[in-house]
Amino acid sequence: MSFWQALFMGLLQGATELFPVSSLGHAVLVPSLLHWSFKQSDRSFVPFLVLLHLGTAGALLVLYRRQWVDIVIGFVRAAIRGSISTPTERLSMLLMVGTLPAAVLGVFLENRIKSLFASPYEAAGFLVLNGLLMLGFEVMRRRAERKAVLQGTSREEQEERFADAAQISFRAAAIVGACQALAFLPGISRSGVTIGGGLLAGLRHEEAARFSFLLATPVILGAGLVEVPLLFSSGVPVSEYLLSAVLAGVAAYVSARFLLRYFRSGRLDPYGWYCIAAGLVSLALLTLNL
Amino acid sequence: MKSNSLSLGLAVLGVVFLVIGVLYAFGVLQIFVSDPHSAHHYTHLILFTVLAVAAFVAANFTRERVV
Repeated sequence: MSFWQALFMGLLQGATELFPVSSLGHAVLVPSLLHWSFKQSDRSFVPFLVLLHLGTAGALLVLYRRQWVDIVIGFVRAAIRGSISTPTERLSMLLMVGTLPAAVLGVFLENRIKSLFASPYEAAGFLVLNGLLMLGFEVMRRRAERKAVLQGTSREEQEERFADAAQISFRAAAIVGACQALAFLPGISRSGVTIGGGLLAGLRHEEAARFSFLLATPVILGAGLVEVPLLFSSGVPVSEYLLSAVLAGVAAYVSARFLLRYFRSGRLDPYGWYCIAAGLVSLALLTLNL
Repeated sequence: MKSNSLSLGLAVLGVVFLVIGVLYAFGVLQIFVSDPHSAHHYTHLILFTVLAVAAFVAANFTRERVV
């Protein structure tokens, strides 16, 4: 992978990681469509992507730095006391419950997941599936809004009727966390399925996005702990890759700020339609070998 | 749900997770690993340590309090 290709991949990953459009799917598809010569089945490709993810995780840590300090303190206090007394303590426990399913599935399904990284066809197919999931989540959300008789009200008023992240049940947090494991498949978006899961659990769009971003951080950092040492032992230009990770972090920070503002009244539909279109176009281009 | 027996069960589960993690780290356990030829499986050690912490936290939450 050349210097400029690595930088482009960093920008692409950072920009797409937090949007519900699957950064991993784009990282697998775009080089194939551009006929770049590096192999995605190469031993250093997954650690490189994980390094880019660490840039994203760094951006999320910067964005939520105060909240993370409160969450860690809240977790330790609640764990020692054996009870929850504040919304932050509850949120910290919800994040732990949400993180465990992805961690367990990630470790035990590691091999099968990695074998899928080499195929852009599967990534394109999963991207279409991801789009359908996004549209499905919004169909179910609109049904919930109809049940709550919120049709005549403005989008902001509709959103206000739904819950904060710290108010969802522990069962819902575990289900959202398990959904997160689907994102190990290239083409399925981590933020997409977790935001969608949050919507099904009754969260506001903005709170579902916040919960999704908070939930992503420990999993990405954990994956980094495991994979990055492989990158350093694989003989690739690590300094260039580090620059790509920084670029990914900057792009992710800008994306997160945009999305939190967008989800005050926006929905997942545009991203769903984009994924379906991008997946189908990619499948056509790959099949026709253009 | 507060119950001392449940709390004890969760604490024992936490210890079991720790033991499994150590066995993976020393390469004694080779089940569900990406590279069976590797002598150490630190990923599994990290995972089972996290699971053990979660089990201990859950044990503390379910412990009956003496007022």
